[in-house]
Amino acid sequence: MMFRLYGAMTALILFAVIVVNDLAGGDWGRLAGGFDNLVVFFNQSMWPPNWIIFDPVTYPVCNSRFEFMCSIGYSSMYETLQIAFASTIFGFMGAILLSPLAARNLRSNWIGVPVRILLSAIRSLPALIWAIIFVIVVGFGPFSGVLAMTIYTIGYLGKLQYETFEGMNSGPLEAGRAMGLSNFSITNNIVIPENSNHILSQLIFMFEYNVRHSTVIGIVGAGGVGFFINNYMKLMYYDRVFALLIMIFVVVIIIDFMSYIARSFVNEQGDIRRPSWLSVLMRMREKKTSSKQAD
Amino acid sequence: MVANPILSLSNLVIGYNEPLVEPISLEVGEGEVIAILGVSGIGKTTLLRTIAGLVPPIKGSYRLKVDKKGGLGYIPQNLGLVRHASVANNVGLGAGVRLEWTMFSERRKRTEEALKAVGLTEKSSEPVRRLSGGQKRRVATARTLAQRPQLILADEFLSELDENNASAVMEAVHPLVVHGSSLIMVEHNPKYVIRYASRVWWFHDGAFTDLSAEEWEKFNPTGGEEA
Repeated sequence: MMFRLYGAMTALILFAVIVVNDLAGGDWGRLAGGFDNLVVFFNQSMWPPNWIIFDPVTYPVCNSRFEFMCSIGYSSMYETLQIAFASTIFGFMGAILLSPLAARNLRSNWIGVPVRILLSAIRSLPALIWAIIFVIVVGFGPFSGVLAMTIYTIGYLGKLQYETFEGMNSGPLEAGRAMGLSNFSITNNIVIPENSNHILSQLIFMFEYNVRHSTVIGIVGAGGVGFFINNYMKLMYYDRVFALLIMIFVVVIIIDFMSYIARSFVNEQGDIRRPSWLSVLMRMREKKTSSKQAD
Repeated sequence: MVANPILSLSNLVIGYNEPLVEPISLEVGEGEVIAILGVSGIGKTTLLRTIAGLVPPIKGSYRLKVDKKGGLGYIPQNLGLVRHASVANNVGLGAGVRLEWTMFSERRKRTEEALKAVGLTEKSSEPVRRLSGGQKRRVATARTLAQRPQLILADEFLSELDENNASAVMEAVHPLVVHGSSLIMVEHNPKYVIRYASRVWWFHDGAFTDLSAEEWEKFNPTGGEEA
């Protein structure tokens, strides 16, 4: 069994190398010296990160008591989080309504196939294209960003959810069906609670994904930190771009911690020992200390 | 012939692709307790799954005279509990099947009664995943008790339980049987079969024999060992 698995993996890797070779026209020499270029670019243009992004700006007018809150870094990240949060929640609502209809073990193909086609159609357009469409429909700004990310979230999260439902243990479903529960009751009382760990994990992953993608859609004018990344790149302020990227990275790490804590409420590990914020951070400190000792 | 049968099997051939046993023709009356015995893989669970409507029969037919909604209670071998939901929610699921969705207080009452009957009142807010194997079996039984079905299909629901708990669970099920519910259980322990079953369906070598409990006790084909 393991031999077959390794064999299949090796074959797939070889096939992928052949595909890349074809795409690169067999010119692997392009890789030579490429990393040096990156180092030069990083040292000359990006390092050190320019934290001017956290200095207060006079426009747009800001009435906050804290100067920090009037900075481009804070306001743009705040807007990005707003876009990501709203679109994740609305997208989740859409996805949780559609995904039980798409799962093969919950509905017949007469309902499932059209819903799966709809979800595939939504996913086939990248978030950026949805953003362009909604910028055309409702104009520039974060509202078009929310609409674009919501639609994309429905397609993406819907697929993750229905595949999770299809992989669930059939025992509770069979017991529910034999009992004569309605489809709605099976979905509401069996499928969703039984998969709550995965649903929560996917929801938080989607929020994190939307935070990262809100930076991309900002490029076409759909609001958020991406708008400033795009502008700074055009003006070749790469050190400011780097500072914004570090800020996004920190936010993504925080969301990851949130996911870890939230999921502990619906899994066995959390029953044994629920992690606290302190324990998450302390573990990092412990790891740092132990790696220093190892040095 | 059974008067007023709740379940009639007529030349029923069960299995997934190949027939597992010879065609079965049987009837089950109201309030009967039937134990299905036989070695592993002989088709006991498949018969229950077929009656529950989860596996289509290869040939033949069966007729259930129970309410479409909640008339049949099924305790699968893996219990079919919602692991991340609380004990009360799992039991409430059974309680709610035959009630209108607005009858909250009746649903709560039935849930509490069922939990009390299996001795799990104190665990009502615990998620099922935290319970032991035996406790989970009692939750599955409580779910069926709260449902109050006309026919209960139970697949090894007494296994993993010590004698005291098995007796307590059977005592809890007993009022349902007294009120006319029938119970078909797959059971390996001959002690429970003798104590509780009125009839035995013994699966052996691709055939099956329908025996009364007395007949089965007389020539006990398993020699008193676990079947």
